[in-house]
Amino acid sequence: MIDRLWFLMPELIVLGGAVLCAILGVSRKVGVRNLLPVFAGWTLIIAGVVAWLFVYVPSTELAAVATEVPLPWLGRWVVIMSAVVGLMLVFVQAGLVDRVYEAAVAAGRVAFDPLRTTRGEYWVFFLLSVGGLMLTSGASDLVWLFLALELTSLPTYVMVAIGRVDRRSQEAGMKYFFLGALASAVFLYGFAMLYGATGTMSLVDIRTVLAEQVAETGSMNPLATIGLMVAVLGIAFKLAAAPLHLYAADVYEGAAAPVTAFLGFVPKAAGVIALMLLLSVTGWQEDGQLPQVLVILLWVMAVLTMTLGNIGALLQTRIKRMLAYSSIAHSGYLLIGILAGPGAGYTAVLIYLVAYGLSNTATFSVLAGLRRSGQEVEFLDDLAGLRERHPIMAWGMAISAGSLLGFPPLLGFWAKLLLFMAGIASGQLVLVIIAGVNSAISAWYYLKIMAIPLVGTPKSDAASIERVDVPGARFALVLISGALLVMPVALSDMIADAEAALREPDKMQTVDEDSGHAGGSAIKQEQPSLQS
Amino acid sequence: MPPMSLMLANQLPLYLPIVILIVMAIIFGAVNILGSHLLGPKRYGEEKMSTYESGMNPIGTARRRFNVRFYILAMTFLVFDVEIIFLYPWAVDFAQLEPGSPEAGLFLGRILFFLLMSVIAYVYAWKKGVFRWD
Amino acid sequence: MTMVATAMAGGSLAQYLIISGVLMSIGLAGFLTRRNLIVMFLCTELMFQGVVIAMVAFSRWHWEVSGQVFVIFILTVAAAEAALALALVVLLYRRRDTLDAEAWTELRE
Repeated sequence: MIDRLWFLMPELIVLGGAVLCAILGVSRKVGVRNLLPVFAGWTLIIAGVVAWLFVYVPSTELAAVATEVPLPWLGRWVVIMSAVVGLMLVFVQAGLVDRVYEAAVAAGRVAFDPLRTTRGEYWVFFLLSVGGLMLTSGASDLVWLFLALELTSLPTYVMVAIGRVDRRSQEAGMKYFFLGALASAVFLYGFAMLYGATGTMSLVDIRTVLAEQVAETGSMNPLATIGLMVAVLGIAFKLAAAPLHLYAADVYEGAAAPVTAFLGFVPKAAGVIALMLLLSVTGWQEDGQLPQVLVILLWVMAVLTMTLGNIGALLQTRIKRMLAYSSIAHSGYLLIGILAGPGAGYTAVLIYLVAYGLSNTATFSVLAGLRRSGQEVEFLDDLAGLRERHPIMAWGMAISAGSLLGFPPLLGFWAKLLLFMAGIASGQLVLVIIAGVNSAISAWYYLKIMAIPLVGTPKSDAASIERVDVPGARFALVLISGALLVMPVALSDMIADAEAALREPDKMQTVDEDSGHAGGSAIKQEQPSLQS
Repeated sequence: MPPMSLMLANQLPLYLPIVILIVMAIIFGAVNILGSHLLGPKRYGEEKMSTYESGMNPIGTARRRFNVRFYILAMTFLVFDVEIIFLYPWAVDFAQLEPGSPEAGLFLGRILFFLLMSVIAYVYAWKKGVFRWD
Repeated sequence: MTMVATAMAGGSLAQYLIISGVLMSIGLAGFLTRRNLIVMFLCTELMFQGVVIAMVAFSRWHWEVSGQVFVIFILTVAAAEAALALALVVLLYRRRDTLDAEAWTELRE
């Protein structure tokens, strides 16, 4: 019992941080409210370090507990990844939340009204949503998966609406909320069918029951297959994958740039992890066979998502819309990894998530860090010649967009390479060729994003674009750009870590045997006593 | 597993007290309304026919904007309202555990943690000024 | 007594699933055709209730309780979504004085 809770330690820390932010957010002292991002940042650091050093340390007791979860060690990767990318997102948003109101209070123009302030709530929702992403990775049953996904997305609806005082952000929040509620109802219906077909909620048990049914009848229970398809379609919303991708452009444009950076990573990562866990019930870890209809569904989704995303991005002149469509396209690439399956495919997906999360955060940190008379910069052309006045921003934009495109020395290139290699290895050659064509299409607009700030001729009003007075976004940009350049050096370590995170529960024990932590036979003897 | 109809037939007598309660409630309501209608004195006047006889005079139509604090208070209520859903199954299970056993302690600890979360929500709402009406 | 019980328990699994499917379809159709924000929200709630009925029916059919546990959590999340929807709708209504979803079209291609 206690051991199962032990896996939740990072999430509990995040919850504690969220509670702290909620209480401190209504404090009357400006200093305390300004410290909120610091608290949020430290919460994520502590959660990440605890997960890294203490929670996911192999031991015989944990190995026994871990058999209840399809991918027990996935949490290690996901928690640390969410903590790192989350920390970058904290830097991007620090000081920008509810900025106009806080400035007015600080200048004494308005009296502080706890009901009016939204800075505390913003950080609470930020932490809760990241905590939801962490929780997704540990899901052992459908209830948990549902709650974790909802915990990830419910806060984001509020974050979009309160991210900036603007009619467009409220419209975006409304659209996002209504479609999100619709999508949850859809994947819940899928869960209900899956439950109806198997009579259990536990993912591991569903896998066992389905395997028995396959052994009896020779094919998978049709109700379970349909349930899985419906659930995958519903989860496609979190991924912003076709056919539920249409909201993304509107919502990403309407939300404030720091919130958009958040939307581009956290719900998407949660959706990808949920897909990995959900598809594990088909038992393709053992036989490598996904039901044919699911393969077709995912294949069509992947092709549609990346093609529509890239073509949509080509047609845009507004930078945020362009990046929104590009993030749709990245969901399509991620689906290749999902299709390639456990092993190389999932490993590539985990690494791609890190590369994409970091690069995406960096591109939006440029937009968050620039202002023109208090408003965000809207058009790509406005960034022309940025290098002359703000060289850090221009180079950071070039590096991060290059990584999103998959420019050779950068992390994004290696991640994409791994993804495509996994796709080819699993026999999805046509899909990888389509993805390659799509990458070529995306080069057109990514190169524009890279080149226009560096070598473009500044427009006449370029001088009115200024850096915001908080350094967080620039700091995050420099850190991430450095990481994108340096991290490929450690690529083989990353692959090893990702593979370790994807170990199956029983394979875990043989690893223990090899490294001499404990004898394999001792574990097998201990197991029944722990479970009883 | 016995057929559904048989099981329902076995359980149906258990619902008899509820049926009696419903019947009694209907009788009680009917007797009160009919009794006051038959026995009470009847005098009508302008004051008597106004919307709130002994209360405030109504102003304007009902379709006016309510203070936003009503919504906020309603949402705060919702938190504590929904919490009850979780306390019920917990209480049913807790009663079956052996008193003083470690499982019972863990069980109690979990629900206390759950309640602590709503206490924090209450403190937050209080500090936020939800309960102030000035 | 037995006749009443048979009548009450007369629903087979299929009948409950049909009701659940009908609720889902009404919800989806309403969501796609109605333009009033509150009605749209009610339609998503209808879809949630469709799922709830399916869950309870399957739970009864399998004689296994976890489906009903799931229902409690679905109801909780639905309540949280209702609170959120109310807040958002109030926010939007104050801005525009209408609940017509068509009035909100600033974000478009």
